[in-house]
Amino acid sequence: MASTATSASTTRDPLEPIPLIEGAQTDESLNSSLLNHVWRSPGKGWWALFGLALAGLGLLVIGITVTLWKGIGMWGNNIPVGWAFGIINFVWWIGIGHAGTLISAILLLLQQKWRTSINRFAEAMTLFAVICALLFPLIHTGRPWFALYWLMPYPSVQGIWPQFKSPLVWDVFAVSTYFTISLLFWFLGLIPDLASLRDSSKKPLQKTIYGLLALGWRGSGRHWAEYKWAYLLLAGLSTPLVLSVHTIVSFDFAVSILPGWHTTVFPPYFVAGAVFSGFAMVVTWMVPARQFLGLKHVVTLKHLENMNKVILATGLMVGYGYAMEHFIAWYSGSQYEFEEFFKVRMRGPLAPVYWLMMFCNVVVPNIFWSKKARTSLLIMWVAALLVNVGMWCERFTIIATSLHRDFLPSKWELYAPTWVDWSIYIGTIGLFSTLFLLFLKFVPAVAVTEVKELRHEMAHQAHGHAEEAHG
Amino acid sequence: MTEPTASPLHLELRKRILEKFPKAKFTSYSSIAGDGAADGLRLAYGKYVETRHELTRASVIVSLDADFLGEGPESVRAMRQFAGGRLPGAPMNRLYVVEPALTVTGMSADHRLRLRAGDVAGFALALAAELGRRPGFAQLAAIASGGHGLTAGDPKWISAVASDLIKHRGQSLLLAGRRQSAAVHAVVAALNAALDNVGTTVTYATPLLADPLSGPKSLAPLAEEIAAGQVDTLVITAYNPAYTAPADLKFDKLLARVPNSIYRAMYEDETAAVASYVVPAAHALESWGDARATDGTISIVQPLISPLWGGHSDVELLSAFLGEGDLGDYEVLRRSWAAKQATVPGATGEFDQIWEKWVGDGVIVGTETAPEAALTLDGSAIQQGLGALLAAAPKGAGVEIAFVSDYKVADGRFANSAWLQELPDPVHKITWDNAALISPAMAKSLGVEVERDNDKFSVLVIEYKDRRVHAPALIAPGHADDSITLALGYGRTGSESVASGVGFNAGVLRGSDAPWFDRGAQVSLATGMHLFGLTQNHWSMENREPAIATSLAEFENPRSEARELLEERRAALPTIHEPHDYSKEQYKWGMAIDLGKCTGCSTCIVACQSENNIPTVGREQVVRGREMQWLRVDRYYSGELEDPEVIVQPLACVHCETAPCEYVCPVNATVHSDEGLNEMVYNRCVGTRYCSNNCPYKVRRFNFLDFTSETPAVRRLGMNPEVTVRSRGVMEKCTYCVQRIERKRIDTRVAGRLIEDGELKTACQQSCPAGAIEFGNLNDLKSRVTKAQADERRYDLLHELGTRPRTAYLARVRNLNPELAKG
Repeated sequence: MASTATSASTTRDPLEPIPLIEGAQTDESLNSSLLNHVWRSPGKGWWALFGLALAGLGLLVIGITVTLWKGIGMWGNNIPVGWAFGIINFVWWIGIGHAGTLISAILLLLQQKWRTSINRFAEAMTLFAVICALLFPLIHTGRPWFALYWLMPYPSVQGIWPQFKSPLVWDVFAVSTYFTISLLFWFLGLIPDLASLRDSSKKPLQKTIYGLLALGWRGSGRHWAEYKWAYLLLAGLSTPLVLSVHTIVSFDFAVSILPGWHTTVFPPYFVAGAVFSGFAMVVTWMVPARQFLGLKHVVTLKHLENMNKVILATGLMVGYGYAMEHFIAWYSGSQYEFEEFFKVRMRGPLAPVYWLMMFCNVVVPNIFWSKKARTSLLIMWVAALLVNVGMWCERFTIIATSLHRDFLPSKWELYAPTWVDWSIYIGTIGLFSTLFLLFLKFVPAVAVTEVKELRHEMAHQAHGHAEEAHG
Repeated sequence: MTEPTASPLHLELRKRILEKFPKAKFTSYSSIAGDGAADGLRLAYGKYVETRHELTRASVIVSLDADFLGEGPESVRAMRQFAGGRLPGAPMNRLYVVEPALTVTGMSADHRLRLRAGDVAGFALALAAELGRRPGFAQLAAIASGGHGLTAGDPKWISAVASDLIKHRGQSLLLAGRRQSAAVHAVVAALNAALDNVGTTVTYATPLLADPLSGPKSLAPLAEEIAAGQVDTLVITAYNPAYTAPADLKFDKLLARVPNSIYRAMYEDETAAVASYVVPAAHALESWGDARATDGTISIVQPLISPLWGGHSDVELLSAFLGEGDLGDYEVLRRSWAAKQATVPGATGEFDQIWEKWVGDGVIVGTETAPEAALTLDGSAIQQGLGALLAAAPKGAGVEIAFVSDYKVADGRFANSAWLQELPDPVHKITWDNAALISPAMAKSLGVEVERDNDKFSVLVIEYKDRRVHAPALIAPGHADDSITLALGYGRTGSESVASGVGFNAGVLRGSDAPWFDRGAQVSLATGMHLFGLTQNHWSMENREPAIATSLAEFENPRSEARELLEERRAALPTIHEPHDYSKEQYKWGMAIDLGKCTGCSTCIVACQSENNIPTVGREQVVRGREMQWLRVDRYYSGELEDPEVIVQPLACVHCETAPCEYVCPVNATVHSDEGLNEMVYNRCVGTRYCSNNCPYKVRRFNFLDFTSETPAVRRLGMNPEVTVRSRGVMEKCTYCVQRIERKRIDTRVAGRLIEDGELKTACQQSCPAGAIEFGNLNDLKSRVTKAQADERRYDLLHELGTRPRTAYLARVRNLNPELAKG
């Protein structure tokens, strides 16, 4: 029975009913199927999405232009709500960026095989998400033309250094390090595939460009040995970053004295939330991408299910974080803390956002206790989308809701975003999509080299089964 | 047609003009002057007299719709005198206020009774009747009987007030508001006389004003003459009668029928639109003139600047009719006083020297007029007169509409000042608007909806006689039921750049027969909502008690909860920091704000705005919560919203010793000085706004847009050259007027000494009529601020956060009448 059912597979693990690579794949078939989306000319669907993404990017350009031209007053921010969409979106995008590093680095160190088909994809998302995130700290300042370099420690003629006690300076280091390492990691992983692209290029220009990017990769044993080392080292460097970046971002809040910000649970809770939102974003994009790019055989339900498990796990951590915040708010005996959580968030004018956050982040992930939900494309896609919404609502609740009603009731003020806020936010989604679609067009979305390697490993392991099946 | 005035020069010019033009007539007119006082006192004393109050001698003060702390020429002195009697330890005064809508005076009251404006007469009579029942006040009983049983107010309250008044016979004071009728003023005069207050807390003097009557009613005779075609030329120096005159006079139409109308105007307003000729007016700060204080002291008014736009003062306009128009106001004034030198006591010698001294001093010392000594109250005249007066007084059923002169724009004359438009109303915190103020119960019965965050309200349609107006409602805690308070001065249709289009014109409802209040208005909901630019949407302290008020009894008990709270909020908190030792510094700046003295008048806000070049941002930005004033006055209601207790609390940067704003700034733009100031380095600020987020007092202000670069050149003349004008994207906040500190430091260093206590004042402190703000050197143990901070009432705002603010507060102590004290 088993032999007939698995006749098409060379890589089936009897303990894993859903395979990581489907079908009888060879290096050649993988090469052609995984590089195909780069070589074939973009279809109507790609162009349609790209047009949409460019429209979004246009909104970003308009939003940023208006902001730089007229000032932050074009946003909905006020006193007391000094931070709102700018920082909400910054934290949201940084969080989304966490899946890539986690998949690439931590899962690599933990030798999780299922990371192989999705790591490239997730790393690219990290990179683009961090690019989106990096926009905000700059444009949200009143005078970005100074903020650009006054936050950097350089020996200025003014004799003034940044203020190292401020978490915003820590942010500069944390986020720029994260961006640099993520970029290097992603690029390093790309080198063998870029070489494949160079080798299969048909036009001289393509050959030159991919050739330059491949940095003279020839696939020699020495290359591979050095490459593996470098990759492992970068993985080692990235691993603490997964934890540190969002920890430091959370310090922006935790270090302050504002009720709702001043919370020691923030670092782990932010990291869990970041991974939670990052994986949700990967699922959101992966479900359609594997369909349209013909990657179903390498990004299987197994991968998606694993990611959904991570979403469930981190979702539960986030839920625990919420519970702790509320518990401590009560247990601290501080009137301000208690009222922030139990009055302002639950019953204040911005309470709908809070309840949407609770629904999306605490209730929705629990659907993944069910295997059916974990393996249903539609359910997981909707759930992942809701998690993205929920995590945005979480940042809104932490930032805007906490600020709009703090210590002195006399200065409580409602917050409402303006069209510029929305156009910049939607605009960064446009920027992200634009970069992502370009990535899908010019670079293999799946790490071909690694998939091939995995196929070899698995074929080796499954040799006995394969013989039997074919015999 | 002139403003009510007591200017000696004006009186002289008037006399000379009347000699030259025997058929000419003068009319004093101001839409916000009251006529009740003059008529009421004439009834009581048989002739026109003016009232003067001496609050320092008053232990019990009863205000009958009199906002004596908030408006009128005596308010500054009244506030200083009143505040002087608010310190526990010394004998405290006790203030009872009867009024429909909360006022600055009402907010300062120990006991407040909300009554419709029209019911205040009933209250006065009820109080007279109540006193009349006590031994020794038979005359009052007789007078009260003239009221034919008209009564209003809670009898228990009235009885308690009556007892308190008797207890403080000769040290009490009753005041009647300018809106109130002659009947009320007459009864109040009788009450003051019966309580032996005349001569101590209240005196009467021969009127200083050119005409005893100048309110809206005084316009009716002129209107009739115009209608009858008897007026050939009308010269107007009074403010904007086409807009301010009672609606039934249709004064704008009448004015168009005068063959020659000449209007001296600051702006092209509603009257300018119908006048034949408009003479551009010089601003008061551009004009020479003279004036008299309420006690008669003569003041020589000196301009600050020669007219920027070639305007003419009223002196110049009036002297033109004498053929002296091109002499200029200075010359006319000087000649007038040169001729009058002999009449001034003690002014002997060469005129030039005397003149220099007068101008230099600003006042001519010794020119006050003595109160009338031999006045006898004619009780029977009041008793007989009351009936007629009360019969003529507006009455009837239905909703009452009551008009008030706006705290900021008055009758509209200051409406073109953006500073004033953006100043939050002292009570209701409205900017750039007026509102139909109604009680919470009335709002409920009308079905008024409140949206957003308590700043968007239903619009009402108010119909009265054949007139109607659309007015946005605003729920005003403590307002009398079935009464609507409407502020005048808005809904302007002239071409003033700032004033036009702000608010609605409540004046269209105003009739000359009842210019201040009347019942019989029809109120219904209109469609639509109105979004107010309120600077404070939240009324409650949410049990956080940032502003502490307690009763005298509580305060005098060292074990009371209030005392414990105060102790707790000033106790030293443990800290892991080694506190900086300021004892080696020359100065350690600090401030103390006495909530017991503060009335919430908000003068300090404008003073600060002026001193520190603070921009106005306009209505839309206020709606968005971006007003820039560094200093705000918080107003909290506690208890029942129908009849709440009110407390106000001025709040600017408190200059924390361990400032939460400082450690979060990534670029070192806000730092601590050696003398303990929390300093803002504008040119270093990149505008992350983190400091504001982490400021628990929310006293930092951000330049969300470019509010300053388009300031016209002429307005830049008004900027303080010692204070940086901030650019877009920069945070700013109270500096404790650091420019004044530095200026004094330079001056005293040159003189080789230290800055002495009292010679350095912040702008808010300097302008505070109540003297509620003390600022100075905490290293100087004898300084006033050090003493204030050592007061038993002292506490720190948000003390539990450990920010250790340099500004301390002194709790307000209410001097409650034990008979009325709740609970």
